[in-house]
Amino acid sequence: MSEFRRQHPVAAITRAVDLIRDNFITILILMVVGAGGSEGVAFIWWFTGLLFFLLTAGVADWWRFQYWADKEKLNIRQGVLVRKNLTLTRERIQVIDVTSGVVQRLFGLVSVEVQTAGSGSREAYLSAVTTEEAERLTALLRNGYRQLADEGTEAAVSPESRYPLPVRELLIAASTSGSFGIALSIIATLFSQVEPLLTETEIHEWFAAALPETDTLFFVSLIAVFVLFAWLLSFLGVLLSYGNFCLELRDDEMVITRGLLEKKRITVPFNRIQAVRVVEGVMRQPFGFANISVESAGFGDQKGSGSVVIHPLIRRSRVSSFLREVLPEYDGEPRTSKPPLRSLTRYMIRSTAVLAIAVGALWLLAGTGDWIWVLLLPGLAWGWLRHRDAEAGADERRLLLCGRVLARTTAIVLKNRVQDVTVSASLIQRYRNLMNLEVRVASGEQGRGFLVREMEPERARELLGWMAIDNPFLQTETEGT
Amino acid sequence: MKTVPQQRVPPRAIRAWQWSAALGNSTLFLIPLVWALVFGMDDPVHIRVILALSVVLFGFWLSGIFLFPFLKWKRWRYNIDRHEIDLQRGVLIHQRTLIPLSRVQHVDTRQGPLLRWYTLASVTISTAATTHEIPALDEVVAEKVRDTISTYARLAEEDV
Repeated sequence: MSEFRRQHPVAAITRAVDLIRDNFITILILMVVGAGGSEGVAFIWWFTGLLFFLLTAGVADWWRFQYWADKEKLNIRQGVLVRKNLTLTRERIQVIDVTSGVVQRLFGLVSVEVQTAGSGSREAYLSAVTTEEAERLTALLRNGYRQLADEGTEAAVSPESRYPLPVRELLIAASTSGSFGIALSIIATLFSQVEPLLTETEIHEWFAAALPETDTLFFVSLIAVFVLFAWLLSFLGVLLSYGNFCLELRDDEMVITRGLLEKKRITVPFNRIQAVRVVEGVMRQPFGFANISVESAGFGDQKGSGSVVIHPLIRRSRVSSFLREVLPEYDGEPRTSKPPLRSLTRYMIRSTAVLAIAVGALWLLAGTGDWIWVLLLPGLAWGWLRHRDAEAGADERRLLLCGRVLARTTAIVLKNRVQDVTVSASLIQRYRNLMNLEVRVASGEQGRGFLVREMEPERARELLGWMAIDNPFLQTETEGT
Repeated sequence: MKTVPQQRVPPRAIRAWQWSAALGNSTLFLIPLVWALVFGMDDPVHIRVILALSVVLFGFWLSGIFLFPFLKWKRWRYNIDRHEIDLQRGVLIHQRTLIPLSRVQHVDTRQGPLLRWYTLASVTISTAATTHEIPALDEVVAEKVRDTISTYARLAEEDV
């Protein structure tokens, strides 16, 4: 059991693919520079050379990468030039992420990522092992030998503890996803890069012919096309990454499987959850939808964030009952308090300040008409919304913090998961008798802060005091893991 | 919780902060200097800009030495007991932070040349999400504080 193993040889290829993906821009530049005068022969040489180099690197990487696991820890030896030895103890594991990407699926393989708190665990990534091996590792590292023995009997999971996402809701989630803005900016950037190329080719003429003549109409329809395209892109993105979504509850962990092309399987132990976040996106809130994610001290779903989505789309009214079933500790209605009315002006000023400077500059310098001040209205409305949605409160076990940047976010943190609490008041806030409250939890590398601005100082101090353990009853509640 | 923490930073920390501000903030004078080098001193507009910048920065520099270290010292208080670390700080923005000891990941003391000259040391407290610093304590006290925190943190042992 304790001898070192290598990954499946396909790891050499997946490593090479990973290398390409991570250095895509560099490679692209190298290729373009290398091809130089666009002579076909030079380009082919560069291309084969690069391919050969990547494959060699991949093979070397695969050869030097060895691991072994027992019920206590996972050991990894890796590195071609610099040798690295990595040991992860079982108790410290936060999240286990099993993914089968496109390349891996061709060979029926998966990649395994074992995450601990902090960044060191980025190295604990097996890029290609067989499914059985992944199962063995997960079982071993999660439960030790004992449960591994009766793996066969444990496999069946009762249907009540499975939460698949219906297709209808997946489609709603995809069409209202917030990644829409990101997609738009990607397209805009791409377009700005490609645009000079386009103007010199027939495509431009084709565009010009296909679209209306006048300039205003041209731009309006161009923007419309962009928006539509961005929406489609984000729609497909969500569809691909959250297709076949299913949340499964086990005795002491939750398992999330999702993805159409790249299948992911994320294991989060219950006792590693740092906070629960209910996010009502701008496009979802009007329809009464939200998504729920948990924060983990590993680095989570997407790189760096530490968040793992456990429900991509849920009716706001169902959130409480869902939490009661899945994470009962996080269900509750603490008595909350909102920032007082006198803080509304500060919210509005903050949300409008930058806009006001821009508009003021335009008004003064560009001499636009007075109508331009109308542009401030969305800023004011945004400030009003942020004020309306801010609240904070606690009961004896959990803390509830609500706020909005764009999406309305409700965070629920258990008392024994709070890393620190800070109250702060600037000069003006002291004059206005207001106070900010910030609670930080472990999440990803940086942790995540939940900030509620402009509260009544008494309430903010009360919540700060709530954290202090001067009460023997509360002290006994911090159970060890 | 209503009461403020009782422990203070030793008064000679003010001297260390004064020196560090005097040295550190002096780089600010590079701004008018670079301005002078780039635009020259011929144009009266540029002379005025350079003078204004210098005066403002000099005022800032002076207050960094003769005002803020005192206010900072007056404001800085901390308290450490079995359950939590309580920090109060911030001259313009008052801040009060509570760190449960069971959340402390590691503590270390640090000492740069300036702090060593005044036999001071800073204590850095890290949790899984944040890092806090008590900027200057007597080096003996700092060692003691570090040991106390790590002992308490061990007693309150609990994972992330």
